[in-house]
Amino acid sequence: MSVTTNAGTPAPMPGSASGTASESAAMGGDAPPRIAIRNLDFFYGANRALKGVTLDLPDRTVTGMIGPSGCGKSTLLRCLNRMYDLYPGQRATGQVLLEGRDIIGGDIGVDELRSRVGMVFQKPTPFPMSIYDNVAFGVRLHERLSKAELDQRVEWSLTRAALWGEVKDRLATPATGLSGGQQQRLCIARTIAVRPEVILLDEPTSALDPISTLKIEELIDELKVDFTIAIVTHNMQQAARCADQVAFFYLGELIEVGPAGQIFTAPREPRTREYITGRFG
Amino acid sequence: MSPSTDFAGAAGMTTPTRRHKKPDWLASKIFTVALYGSCVVFLLLIAGLVEELVRGSMLSLRTFGLGFLWSSEWNPVTSQFGALPFIYGTVVSSAVALLLAAFSGVLAGIYLAEFAPRRVATGLALLIELLAAVPSVVYGLWGLFVLAPFVTNWLGPLLQATLGFLPIFQGNIFGVNMLLAGLILALMIVPTIVVVTRDLILAMPMRYREASIALGATRWEAVSKVILPALRPGIFGACMLALGRALGETIATTMVIGNRPAISVSLFAPGYTMASVIANEFTEATTNIYLSALVELGLLLLVISVIVNGAGRLLLRLLQRSA
Repeated sequence: MSVTTNAGTPAPMPGSASGTASESAAMGGDAPPRIAIRNLDFFYGANRALKGVTLDLPDRTVTGMIGPSGCGKSTLLRCLNRMYDLYPGQRATGQVLLEGRDIIGGDIGVDELRSRVGMVFQKPTPFPMSIYDNVAFGVRLHERLSKAELDQRVEWSLTRAALWGEVKDRLATPATGLSGGQQQRLCIARTIAVRPEVILLDEPTSALDPISTLKIEELIDELKVDFTIAIVTHNMQQAARCADQVAFFYLGELIEVGPAGQIFTAPREPRTREYITGRFG
Repeated sequence: MSPSTDFAGAAGMTTPTRRHKKPDWLASKIFTVALYGSCVVFLLLIAGLVEELVRGSMLSLRTFGLGFLWSSEWNPVTSQFGALPFIYGTVVSSAVALLLAAFSGVLAGIYLAEFAPRRVATGLALLIELLAAVPSVVYGLWGLFVLAPFVTNWLGPLLQATLGFLPIFQGNIFGVNMLLAGLILALMIVPTIVVVTRDLILAMPMRYREASIALGATRWEAVSKVILPALRPGIFGACMLALGRALGETIATTMVIGNRPAISVSLFAPGYTMASVIANEFTEATTNIYLSALVELGLLLLVISVIVNGAGRLLLRLLQRSA
């Protein structure tokens, strides 16, 4: 993965070998990235929150996004599923390519986009309905399934989210009765039920206790077999534990990106070093 | 001091000593008494109200018994009094009002909170809140001079042409009728429903909206499938509040409902409400039994309000359980 700041080095093309051979191997070989971000700028009104970010999310890997508050990492995540559409005055320029089609330019309709790129939020957001209906919510929006198929999908999603055993006897009860950690796994189940290719996790454990956090982290490890994952986190240990590739952001710029091992042991940029050693942020 | 205050960061500093302050029990006592006191005042007021109503209606209660509830006879000359036409008029006009106001009010609240451009939303909300401040006698006048001809000339014939197979839309269209009263009442209670719905939706954390949209929902799907179900108790409460006002509204209803103590299935026929008959006939109630019957109507109105509210809460709880 090449280190790319807003000026200078040209963006690596999707599929082109970038970084060393060992790095590429860790990132899933020479396969084209699932998502390629090219020269992305983002504006909250006149305020520029992202400055020429170029970054690849390799297929079936976990990309950790770290940096101090306000550095733009969550903003970047919200570009990948066009969540900013909801807010007038927010806009993005540049390219985010999902298998070569531009998300920002509107090559992909939001309906298709959101069925392919799912998102889990900082605080668990169980909908005021049963556990079953929560998981089926997204599926029902996109697909026409028979009752049996839907049952199967719900079970599959809850199993993948490591929640099936705990809830299989009370699928019809309100989801708000679950614990915080269970609620967050339910939100993950709800997201993967739509069978997206990419899962965006925006500080998914910051509202959870250590044991629930551990479960979610183990889950992320299992999910990356099938999904491409981007996780924003404030927890350096979490990034080290979960991510294959880590990107460090500062003041809207991507400062450095590389394999997790390299970023945490031998960062190239002094600002990365200062941040991960806790000198600022 | 306790070792737990000995943080590493405070090393080298002298540990501050703690000076105990006596709890001001007198102030907290006074505060508690004041809290209890204000509740007791309300309890006493309600008790006094009920007591006075019961005492005033005692003669009527003894004379007519339960028959008061289902007798349709209202004849001051023969001193025969029955409340059924008034109960009917009150319940029907309020039900019509609630139906219209709840439907349009919730939709308007959703529009203001979710879809209207900010400037439009602020302006509209201001106007709607103004509606709540219009005196009811003004509504009555407007209903009589503007809405009444509209109902007799346009709305009535239109409803009869389209939904005329329903018994409630059959028969002669009178100049003042129960539909007109329902419409005016709806207009009077709709601001409450709009404003509460809007405020509830705006108070809902953004993340629920985002979470449903991230799953591929449209804004309408997010509102109708996630936001509104979560707000059901609150919106229901607003409707109950509004219904309470409709049941007790006097002047505007009196002006447009026709004041005829008769029970007709058709909404185009005149009717009479409990509040209206009390206001209209109180000054001319010359006999004791006449006066007592009117006071009993007041008591009934109170009881009906309580029953409607309780039934509403029960219904809501059942809905919540099945959801």
